[in-house]
Amino acid sequence: MDITIRNLRRRFGKVEALRGVDLELSGGMFGLLGANGAGKTTLMRIIAGVLSPTSGQVLIGGHDMSTRQGRVAVQRRLGYLPQDLGLYPDLTAVEFLDYIGLLKGLDDRTARRRQIAELLEVVGLSDVANRKLKGFSGGMRRRVGIAQALLGDPALLVVDEPTAGLDPQERIRFRTLLATLPGRRTVLLSTHVVEDVAQTCRETAVMVDGRIVFTGAVSDLVRGAEGVTWEVVTSGPPPTVGEIVSAVSDAGGTRYRVVSVTPPDPAAIPVPPSLEDGYVAFMQGAAAGRSSA
Amino acid sequence: MIRYEFLMQIRKRSLWISMGLLAVITVLGQGDAGPRYLPDDASARVVASSWAFLWSLLLPIVAGMVLADRLVRDDRLGVSRLLESLPTTATTRVMGRFLGALAATATPIFLATVIAGGAESISREDPAVLLWTPIAFGLVLLPGLVFVGAFAMVVPLLLTAPLFRVLFVGYWFWGNMLGPSYMPSLAGTLLTPVGDYTASWLLGERALYAGADGWLQLLRPEPNGVTAALSVALLLGVGLIPLLVGSRVLARRATA
Amino acid sequence: MRAVLTDVSSPLLWRYESRRVGVAAQAAPAAALAVTLLLTAFTANAGGSRADIERLLLTGLEAVVPLAVAVATVTVITRDRCRELHLALPVRYVTTLGRRLATLVGAAAATAVIYSAALVATGWWSGPAAPASPLVWVPPLLALGGLAMILTVVGRSVVLASSGVAATWLAQQLYAASLASHAGSRPFFLFLTSRYGTGEGWLLNRFALTVTGLCLLAVAVTALSRPGAAPGEEEQ
Repeated sequence: MDITIRNLRRRFGKVEALRGVDLELSGGMFGLLGANGAGKTTLMRIIAGVLSPTSGQVLIGGHDMSTRQGRVAVQRRLGYLPQDLGLYPDLTAVEFLDYIGLLKGLDDRTARRRQIAELLEVVGLSDVANRKLKGFSGGMRRRVGIAQALLGDPALLVVDEPTAGLDPQERIRFRTLLATLPGRRTVLLSTHVVEDVAQTCRETAVMVDGRIVFTGAVSDLVRGAEGVTWEVVTSGPPPTVGEIVSAVSDAGGTRYRVVSVTPPDPAAIPVPPSLEDGYVAFMQGAAAGRSSA
Repeated sequence: MIRYEFLMQIRKRSLWISMGLLAVITVLGQGDAGPRYLPDDASARVVASSWAFLWSLLLPIVAGMVLADRLVRDDRLGVSRLLESLPTTATTRVMGRFLGALAATATPIFLATVIAGGAESISREDPAVLLWTPIAFGLVLLPGLVFVGAFAMVVPLLLTAPLFRVLFVGYWFWGNMLGPSYMPSLAGTLLTPVGDYTASWLLGERALYAGADGWLQLLRPEPNGVTAALSVALLLGVGLIPLLVGSRVLARRATA
Repeated sequence: MRAVLTDVSSPLLWRYESRRVGVAAQAAPAAALAVTLLLTAFTANAGGSRADIERLLLTGLEAVVPLAVAVATVTVITRDRCRELHLALPVRYVTTLGRRLATLVGAAAATAVIYSAALVATGWWSGPAAPASPLVWVPPLLALGGLAMILTVVGRSVVLASSGVAATWLAQQLYAASLASHAGSRPFFLFLTSRYGTGEGWLLNRFALTVTGLCLLAVAVTALSRPGAAPGEEEQ
């Protein structure tokens, strides 16, 4: 499902959450990266038809999201996992999915129940299908969330911060699940966790202060940190030049990974960048651009 | 805990809007018997007490509505588990939240009292009205707020907040304003949270039904200084009961 | 729109929506009536006159049931853990809320009808002729329920809406005589049947309350139909 966004703006009182977003994307898995408060959730909510923009245009699969008909047409083919997914604690996983399925217009009871059973299998919740949701852990709740989003085999899947608050094992499991989803559909993954995008997406966009500042292949973003990613091992104070991406201490001192245009230390050695380095390098460039503007 | 509870509640926009709207309605709808129409030579004590009594008719309703989901909400938002892990007893937690939330809900009512007292001081050129204002607030409004607040915070744990709200409105009418001659009611007894006894003592005449013959005659002595003090003591004492029950309920739920 | 139409007819969906409303909210009118009956028994025990007892019994129907429905309406509209998800579904959220409120009003109506029938059967009914008995509770229920809805949608707060409903209900009780005696306010007095009987102006009063309630509901539904207009639970 193609998405075209032109000069999208959204204001909440005095705060301008989106300041003219332009974005075009088609099928496959697309990652939207950005710090907390960059405007990702606002953009996701507008794409899901939950929120109206202040101005600008959103076309999804040729449907104009500013009209009721357009929103309904998109929502019929949409799966949405909001950032703060509340569940009804008194319902079991099967009942919750059955309820959402009914609201999605899946009227054939047998087909709906079959699809629910399949999805619970996909998200690994078959064993607890008839347990009430109030006893579910954070990761299990997220998996119920993705199962409800997949009900009705949507052509567009919007997933907002799906791994927030999950433990490492749950996060890996959830990422693996996400990576298997695209198929014929468009999956829009919004996250501030760079690793989520690195492991699942080919295309990505970076949002800063309500604007899209980068759109392109994940590999292009990584390439941006080539020649500016360094490793320094020292038992002295941390490097003061550039931005420290990670620090790991062992008996020989602390191993710092630094993104910097100039070597952060005479002993620094250049290393191949990761997406996280690329993201940091890009944000450094964006910040420098903002301060010089 | 009291401080943060106070800050959390006092920042509620709805508390201020609801109190503001009800205060305006109360002033506009006070009728000829309202404090706005007291004679020019009315004493400062009578003017301040009349305003305090007028506010006590409707404004505590908002306090009850605000406090009704205070403890229930902690459960719903998952905060109870966090609080249960703290090294404080359930009684401390309930009392802390009660005092903080009560102080916050009483603040707009106190402000309304001060504004009315200030305006009367200026128009009557009698600064003593402003001096009597906090006394009238403390005697007429505060005991009732403690009483209502304690029940409003704890009863929804047992009845659910919506059902409590319905019963609370009915109770407020029945227990304060429904004349005891019409049907057996708590109106006009020492346990009337609207401050009938203290207001009657301060005004020097019966404010509403204080001491009027009716059901539970034992609780309907003649209004005077002693019975007004007894009414305050009873309201505060009975108000403690739900707080203690609430502490027990929360403590039991934490260990269940 | 096919999905919406099929959904409305699905008994399973109605069952789910009924569970969302909850037993506590659906039982609120019955519980409030039970308290009224208790008070009536007190009054009878204290030597209250037959007229007082009949009036009290009618008050349960005309004043207590609408109040219970109005307060429960505020809760039903504001308390939904999955609001964000509902807003992204093809079924309008206002339709979902409508279904939930319908189950609430349905439970209240069943309670009111049984209560009225019991009063008629036992000879304690003092309202209009039995077939017109719904006119005792439907108009004030619509008016107070409509007020609750509009206050909830505009104010986006449980406290504001329930305080507004409570203040209106109390003010109408307190100023009953003055409201009923003025030609301008009499049609909008909620408790005319139980306070002053079915005499002059009663039908006009019932009509005015019904129209007022429907207008308030229409405005609230229109406001709720805008995307992003669904009121959240009060700011915490």
